[in-house]
Amino acid sequence: MSVSLVLVPVAFAAIAAWQASRPEQAATETGVLVQHVQTRMRDEHLLTVALSDTGALVARSDDELVADWSDVRACFSRGEDGIWKVDFTGAVDAEQAASIVTAVDTAYGLQVQRTVLARLRERAPSAGMAVESEMVEADQSVTLVLTQGAR
Amino acid sequence: MTQTARIIVNIGADGSISAETKGMEGAHCLDSISVLEDLLEAQTVSSAFTSEYYTTATSQEGGLSHDVEQR
Repeated sequence: MSVSLVLVPVAFAAIAAWQASRPEQAATETGVLVQHVQTRMRDEHLLTVALSDTGALVARSDDELVADWSDVRACFSRGEDGIWKVDFTGAVDAEQAASIVTAVDTAYGLQVQRTVLARLRERAPSAGMAVESEMVEADQSVTLVLTQGAR
Repeated sequence: MTQTARIIVNIGADGSISAETKGMEGAHCLDSISVLEDLLEAQTVSSAFTSEYYTTATSQEGGLSHDVEQR
């Protein structure tokens, strides 16, 4: 018998599909334009690594993660739901802000994939499962076949 | 002959996860949902019985079919 499932790692907001929403633009009291974008990312460590993977210099400041590229700064902070949101300042318009978030999300997705794979390989035996095979697909997804009863 | 119980898991480069159980007896495949959620630290956002489920369920005794209908 068989059931098929779609799961979302807890490192993401619990939504099956995501697209960078169009940034909301606002101006600070000093007239600096800020592009505000909601992400779907939840895990601080994976976000930090993903930002570094996109070439950003990352620093922790109070409750914020500050990422600097050559002429753009992004300040990430958590919303009440624990999901990171980001304010961009510098030489960035709405389209570029959305593009950067999409690039960071792509890098974050790769980190989630690595983390989930490592977790699965490590924990499968204690759940009575064995990894029978593992294959990297053309789209860079990884398919594992687990057999049960291996405890 | 008893078929080996397997779970096929695909983890996308974008972090998405899909899974399918194979060769599990009765509604045992449903138990694997919570096992997978714990293993993967993930939440199920959608699930569906596959054609294999219905093929096998209809060939079983009525009690199992009743159980499937109740879920």
